[in-house]
This record gives sequence, C-alpha cells and structure tokens, in this order.
Amino acid sequence: MEKSELLKTAALAKLKLDEQEADKLAVEVTAMLENFSLMMEADVEGLEPTTQTLQQENRTRSDSPGSSNLSNDLLDRVPEREDRFIVIPNVI
Amino acid sequence: MSIKSDRWQNLLSDDSLWKSYNEYVNKWEKSIGSFLQFDADKTKGDSSSDGLLKGMPFGVKDNIAVKGFDMTCGSKILENFNCPYTSTAVQKLQGAGAVVVGKMNMDEFGMGSSTDNSALGETNNPWDKSRVAGGSSGGSAASVAAGQVPFALGSDTGGSVRQPASFCGVYGLKPTYGTVSRYGLTAYASSLETIGICAESTAITRDVFNTMKGIDNMDNTTVDYKPSGKDDTEIIAVLKVGENDLSEDVLNSYRVSQQRLKDLGYKLIEVELPTLKYVVPAYYVIATAEASANLARFNGIRYGLAQKGAETPSDLMQMSRNSGFGDEVKLRILLGTYVLRSGFQDQYYHRAQKIRTAILNDFNRIFEEADALMLPVFPTAAFRHGSSDLTQLQQKAADLYTCSANLAGLPALAVPSTIEKGLPVGVQFTAPAFEEERLFRISEKLEEIFPAQKPEGFSEEWKI
Repeated sequence: MEKSELLKTAALAKLKLDEQEADKLAVEVTAMLENFSLMMEADVEGLEPTTQTLQQENRTRSDSPGSSNLSNDLLDRVPEREDRFIVIPNVI
Repeated sequence: MSIKSDRWQNLLSDDSLWKSYNEYVNKWEKSIGSFLQFDADKTKGDSSSDGLLKGMPFGVKDNIAVKGFDMTCGSKILENFNCPYTSTAVQKLQGAGAVVVGKMNMDEFGMGSSTDNSALGETNNPWDKSRVAGGSSGGSAASVAAGQVPFALGSDTGGSVRQPASFCGVYGLKPTYGTVSRYGLTAYASSLETIGICAESTAITRDVFNTMKGIDNMDNTTVDYKPSGKDDTEIIAVLKVGENDLSEDVLNSYRVSQQRLKDLGYKLIEVELPTLKYVVPAYYVIATAEASANLARFNGIRYGLAQKGAETPSDLMQMSRNSGFGDEVKLRILLGTYVLRSGFQDQYYHRAQKIRTAILNDFNRIFEEADALMLPVFPTAAFRHGSSDLTQLQQKAADLYTCSANLAGLPALAVPSTIEKGLPVGVQFTAPAFEEERLFRISEKLEEIFPAQKPEGFSEEWKI
C-alpha cells in the first residue's frame, strides 16, 4: 500500500502515526492485503452474503422506560468533567 | 454426570485452606503470569452461598466485565479502568455459587495468538516457560493448566479459547454463537465472537456452559436454545490433512485421536472443506472491519486514557488512540478501515461475507452425513515467545482450523489429545448449532482414555 493511502486511512481511523510507525505498518498492511487477495480466486457466484448465521430476524424489546442506574458511575470515569458536563478541548 | 464441587465448597469458609490456596496461586504467578489482577476476596460477597458451582474459584478474561475489578482488555488505553458493572455470563456463574478470583491476561482486545500482544504483562506456558500459552485467552488457559482455577472464562473470535486450551492441555469450548450473552464482553468482532470456557474437565465445561447460556434482554443477538435432541454420535467426519499441513507432532497426535475414536466404535468418514483455503482472509476482513467500528469508542473523551496537551477534540482522539493502542491493534484498525472505505467494499467485505456463506455450506454438507466433525486446532504445539518459530503473519494463517467455526456460528470444543515432546496437543470437534452436548459426550469418552495431563509443579495438596 502506498504511504499516502495509509496515512489517509489512518486519518479516517483517527490514528496519528509518526514516520517510523507509518513505514512499519505500511509493510504489514501490504502483507495482509496480499493475503486478502487470495479471496479473489474463490468462486462466490450466486452466493448470498452472510452477516449472521442463526438469527432469522431482528429481535426487539418492548419500548418501555427503565433505568440502569449507571449514569453517575459512568460519569465518575470521565477523564475531565465539570459537574455533569464532559470537558473537551475547544471545538472552535 | 455433574461436577463434584464438594472438592471446592470448603475453600471459602476454611481460613487455612483459603490461605494455602492463595499461596499456591501466587507461587505459580511468579513463573507464568496468567493473572492481570488476583484478589480472591474482592468479589466474594457477590456470589451465592449455594448452587451447582458452589465455592469454585474462577478467572475471567480481562475483556469481560466484573464489577469491583478493573477491566483493561490488556491495553494501555484502558489501564486502571475500574469496571462499573458485571457481565451477564459472570452474574449467572456467581448466582450458581462460583467466585471470581481475578482477571486473566490476554492479547490486547483479543487480537493475537500468543498473549504476547498484551500491553500489561507476559504470560508463559505452564509446560515450558520459554513458550507462549497461546491466545488471545492465554491467561485463562494457563491458569487452568496450572491448577490455579478449575475453569476460566475466555472469549473466542477466531480460536482464542480453543488454541490456548490446546497449547496448555485443557478443554476449551467456543459455544454456538448467541447462546451465551455478550453483555459485558468488550466488543471486538461482534458477529463472530462468543464468551467461551477453559476448564480442567469436560464435566466442568458442561456445567459452566449450561449455567451461562440463555436469552438475555441485554443482548439482542442471543437466540433460543434449540438442540435436536440427538446427543449421541455415531458418525464422525474427519478432516483430511496433508503431511505438510501440520507439524509432525500435531499430525501424530491427530492420528492418535483418530485411532481412539475408531477403537471407541465411532464410524469415521474422511472429508474435505473446499472453502478452507479462503477462510483466513475472509475472517480477517470481517474481523478487522468490525474491529475498526467497535474500537472507535476509545477516543479519550468518555473513559480510558486521555492524552494531555491536545488543542482540539480531534487532536485528543488521535493522540489518545495513538499512545493507547499497541501495534497489532493499530494494524487491524487500519486494515478494517481500509476494507470498508468507499470503492473497496465489494472487493473485500462483501466477498468475505459470501465466503462465509460458502464455508457454512461446506459444514452443512458434512453434517448431512455425519454427527460431528473432527479437525486440528492449530498446526503446531505451543511456539516460543517472539517471532522465531512463527511470524505474526504465519500465526494469523494458522487460524484456519479454528476461525471456520466462528464464521459459521457453530459450537467447537478443543480436547486434550496427546503430549508431544513435553508439550500438550489438542484436537477439535465441531457440530451443528446447539449440539454442545454431542461434543461433550465425545469429549468425555476420550477423557476416559486420556484425561488432561498436568504440568510439573501442579498440585492439589492445598485442598487437603
């Protein structure tokens, strides 16, 4: 894979790679993509894609209110907050 | 047959027994490092005082939620993350009397075959400390082999319970997809993975599975359990393997298990899986695609590592992810993002899903003639730490025998087969969906001939 493609993909994945890391990963990604290309010789003519194997339809649950009582516990784990607000760097 | 849990039931109430148990676990920890956290008292109060698994200590892979313990997933991005709730599977086991004693080491987010990809500790194989315990549930398998716990939970996305079970000489079950709730299992590849079990015997594997299974409102991919009722096996299909497909040791072990099945009176038929050569690329396309989406949640904002000094929210995400994730996780996120990019989806993701249909069709054809299928677990016995025996790419290619069951959603069980040059080797059985009992019965017959062997240093004396 071209390095420019790798960096474009990394940006989409919100990964900031330094030069050395990008070079190393480019080699590994290329090797895996070569492995993926083995799939091209498989005969998949007429086959439907499988996304899951056992469930015939989506299972839904009733639309009723409930409480998990977890909100305070979850807020306690936020890296930085003010009261019940999560603090992030300036957006603008 | 059920487990005799009376062996364990005094452990929690007898102080001197408790003390010698702790000493035994800590002695092994110095040489194998199977636990990321060990604290047998921490959640003792959350377990029922009675039940099928009364008093049994167990370990939980560190990507499964247990309130009171940290949940790190073997990653720096979740180091020190204190878990606020307990997974359904663990809750059910606690309800049956079993006690969580610690969290097990693993490859970061379940990505690896050696547990060497853990950012937080090294785990060694109890049979040979220069070798890996396998992965990604390496800590779980090693702890069972060393007798630190009678069973431990793992998770299996492409073989992550069965391969370490085989490397350590214990039983390893990947249940039918959707039979055990994934609520509280940190998502890696949601359509493939299940919570699984490493255990010292078939009987314990069965009791733990039966305790955990069932519909859960917290996981809408759980399914009704519908076994056929045909629990006994007459015909076992045996996957044909070539001289070069397996190491000499594993091939020898495979032949021994085959002969034992014959001696037990099973009718064996040799079969092939024409799609097998395509399952590894298909598996890695699907797994990395799902991983890239699932791991997007780790962004330094709501929990986990947040890198200091970021000037924009995007900076914060990029910096936190870059310093928090290890190499293998980054590789898989990049691959998954790439195969889902516009313009590449037909070539990779959609084709992989069609291959998924093809392997399912292969299995279905086999199960028209046979009740179960025997196949290898992994082409080699436990390899040495690092890449001297198998490179990372070779380790991935070696997933072919295990990841097929994940693509097809089928139950599969790794069973100890032989000891080869001082290292355990397992063999694998798979069956149609919901036929776990069929697997347990085959396994029990083999266990009578060859029970799980114990590594040097294993002892049950603390129990006396």
